[in-house]
Amino acid sequence: MPVIFINGEAVDTGEHKTVLQVALANGFYVPHFCWHPELSVPGNCRVCVVEQDGWVGIACNMPVRDGMKVETDSEMVRAQRKTTLQFILLNHPVDCGICDKAGECTLQDYHYEYNGESARSREPKLTSTKFYPLSERIVLDNERCILCTRCVRFTREISKSNVLGIEYRGDQSIIRPVENRTLDDDPYSDNVIDLCPVGALLSRDFLYQSRVWYLEPTATICPGCSRGCTVQAWHRKPEWQLKTQGARQNEGILRVTPLENPRVNGPWICNKGRDLAALLERPRADQPLMKGTVVAMSVALEAARRLIRDSARRVALVSTWASNEELRAFKGVLGETFTAFVKPDHLPVDGEVVEDELLIRADKNPNTRAAESLFGTAPINLPDDTDLVLVWGEGVDFAMLPRGAKILFLGAWLAPENGHADVFLPLSIQTERRGHYTNFDGVVSAFEPWQHRPEGAIDAETLFPLLAAPAGSDA
Amino acid sequence: MDGHKVLMNFNVTARSHSLKAYRKRGGYRGLEKALASMQPEEVTQTIVDSGLQGRGGAAFPAGRKWQGIDPHDGQPHYLIANADEGEPGTFKDRWVLEFSPHTLIESMVISCYALAVRHCFVYIRGEYDLPLRRLEEAVEEAYAAGYLGENIQGSGFSCDLFVFRGAGAYVCGEASSLLGSIEGTRAYPRNRPPRMTVKGLYQCPTVVNNVETLSTIAWIINNGAEAFRAIGTPKSPGTRLISISGHIERPGVYEIELGYSWARFLHEDCGGVLHGRALKAVIPGGISSQVLTGKDAKVLTAGEVEGLTLDHEKLKSAGSSLGSGGMIVIAEGTCMVRLLHIMQRFYHHESCGQCTPCREGTGWMHRILDRILAGKGHPEDIERLQFIAEANDGTTICGLGDAAGYAVTAMVANFRDEFEYFIEHGRSKFGGNLECL
Repeated sequence: MPVIFINGEAVDTGEHKTVLQVALANGFYVPHFCWHPELSVPGNCRVCVVEQDGWVGIACNMPVRDGMKVETDSEMVRAQRKTTLQFILLNHPVDCGICDKAGECTLQDYHYEYNGESARSREPKLTSTKFYPLSERIVLDNERCILCTRCVRFTREISKSNVLGIEYRGDQSIIRPVENRTLDDDPYSDNVIDLCPVGALLSRDFLYQSRVWYLEPTATICPGCSRGCTVQAWHRKPEWQLKTQGARQNEGILRVTPLENPRVNGPWICNKGRDLAALLERPRADQPLMKGTVVAMSVALEAARRLIRDSARRVALVSTWASNEELRAFKGVLGETFTAFVKPDHLPVDGEVVEDELLIRADKNPNTRAAESLFGTAPINLPDDTDLVLVWGEGVDFAMLPRGAKILFLGAWLAPENGHADVFLPLSIQTERRGHYTNFDGVVSAFEPWQHRPEGAIDAETLFPLLAAPAGSDA
Repeated sequence: MDGHKVLMNFNVTARSHSLKAYRKRGGYRGLEKALASMQPEEVTQTIVDSGLQGRGGAAFPAGRKWQGIDPHDGQPHYLIANADEGEPGTFKDRWVLEFSPHTLIESMVISCYALAVRHCFVYIRGEYDLPLRRLEEAVEEAYAAGYLGENIQGSGFSCDLFVFRGAGAYVCGEASSLLGSIEGTRAYPRNRPPRMTVKGLYQCPTVVNNVETLSTIAWIINNGAEAFRAIGTPKSPGTRLISISGHIERPGVYEIELGYSWARFLHEDCGGVLHGRALKAVIPGGISSQVLTGKDAKVLTAGEVEGLTLDHEKLKSAGSSLGSGGMIVIAEGTCMVRLLHIMQRFYHHESCGQCTPCREGTGWMHRILDRILAGKGHPEDIERLQFIAEANDGTTICGLGDAAGYAVTAMVANFRDEFEYFIEHGRSKFGGNLECL
């Protein structure tokens, strides 16, 4: 392996090909706007300069040579970075006060770190388009854009939708979609918002919703398909939760970003993952029901136990949205009582991308693999003499169940079926408890809770031992 | 005008650009010689030995560029003649294309043979109409006569030539940017490494040479490297086409031996400065080379030993370069502030917008000069212009940003008083003159 010297320190380059990669991998920070590990090297921002033999060049395109000596923070390097930042900021509006990116903006950070000087220009700033609609989801502020072309390269090299490009040239250059197309064509479009080093690409959903420093992320998993992308759900920090705001604003998901995970999703997620709130924050069921009548949890539990005791042929339709822990708990205490089949909770909906080569999988449930490894892959078979069906999770049409069978329904969301079940028990969802999903590839990822379980709902792991207890006991 | 001629060695007539006339004056003998009796490596070696330097501006040794290509590596190679002659003040390649297009075609086929190129291109700028028509006519003639196409002259070597018309962007004259234009992508200059001889057009090894550079090759193969070396100076062998314009009595394209006396060229061959005015400055090689003042030119008129000569080394030591051979003569009484403004307007308009310093800097300099011209200059502006120019020096992918900076540094260094005058008084020291009336 070639060895290079960064700031006098010998560093093994490993598999890396360029000085920037080696420096970043070994803890020497070199600022960069346009360079991104997953994208091609355009070398246009000119900020990642390093000094080599008295000559200053861009580290992102500097090939590693054995024994080369590189300075990442010399006098010359600092002077040039400072100058380059003057140019980058020349026509940037510096409207941080009303910019969603403020607080996590690379330009802001670099300005404080490497420039710190007021503008040397006296010319009025160039103006350009604000709020240009790129799609139903994204608006573009061309004034803030520093033309690093990360978004353009993303749509060409990663999502392959080829929607974005640059129009005009020189300082009139602007990012635009190609003729007659919008970013709506790209199921991965929202990644460009994260990629943007400044606040030029803005999420319409998140626009002006919150300053980012009021938020903190919790690691969770997108249940949108069997890829099981690890994501960060951003919600308000506890100290910034205000009484004047409702629970939704205080605990709800305000935005979703990818949690980089090379084994599952790399640094990307699809737009469905961004809309986690649409999947998880539907109106919740928070009261046990018996044939549509609200009852106390203890009453409902006892009724459920009686249903189990009084039936002879019991079938369970197991949820593919349940965590590994819940599935094991069911298998452990109720596995002998029920003949269990795995059912898909969700099927692809109209207009949704069913499957593609990057991330999206046809199976729209997060934990099918774990469920099938416990309960087999046999197709659902309900004998006519079935007298109890335990339906766990969504996706079952009660009309298709055997006529005489009683229905014990475990669900998390408000739905008409809840009232049709003989006994309905409300469950918690993944944002309210700890757990793991196993993705289609066998990779197990964890999700963490941050929301409070509605009063009246119960964790499935707690519920199953209660159901397994003999009827009439005080369990 | 005496001295050897490599390209302008015939009388221009109405049909002197035709294949018939070209063959009559010995055309395509170099190609026949190369195909019949030379190995590709021998051709390349001859070009290396000849010391031929690029004529597009950077004066990079053409043979060294060619040696970057291994003709036997089995992958496709490409050769491109850069006829995107966009450098303001330069119109020398146009002469070749209009009056001797077969010289270019013959030289290109020889070069393709040396570099194992099956498909070569002439990238011609969109504004060149007559040159395009003449070239296309010549290509048709060459195909009909079997100098292009399959099995050229029964040698078994095949080569096709495509004429590709640019759409009029200055930056496409930059070799790597030109590749993007041909490929159909945005014409952005590309990062080196990789060099174009490693990954060029369609990611294959590619040589891009200037039209004049390529056109010289037929002569070199015909007459040998030694004969070429005998012309010009030891370090800059051969001749150059100089297109001279501006405040000069007889503007046009001239072929000079490198090392030719500048004073003689200016005052005898070109008839001196227009209306007998004194010489104020010369931009020797297209506006991307630094301006030289009358002061320098005077040195050469007075002393013959110290005198400047037209070759790459001398001009380099004088702080400029022969560049693309587009010489612009500026007479006394011209407003240099307005001249610089025009130059910066050009660079601003033509910056591709890829690298930060050039994208923002060219516009910034243009706007500052706009303001100075409007009489709202500020004493700090000169320093600011210099700051921007320095920030562009060597910090961008291609040379456009550097060139824009050079223009400012050279102008401000030589004519600082004019800038100060304009800023202080809000008007030009020379009445804003650009014309020489």
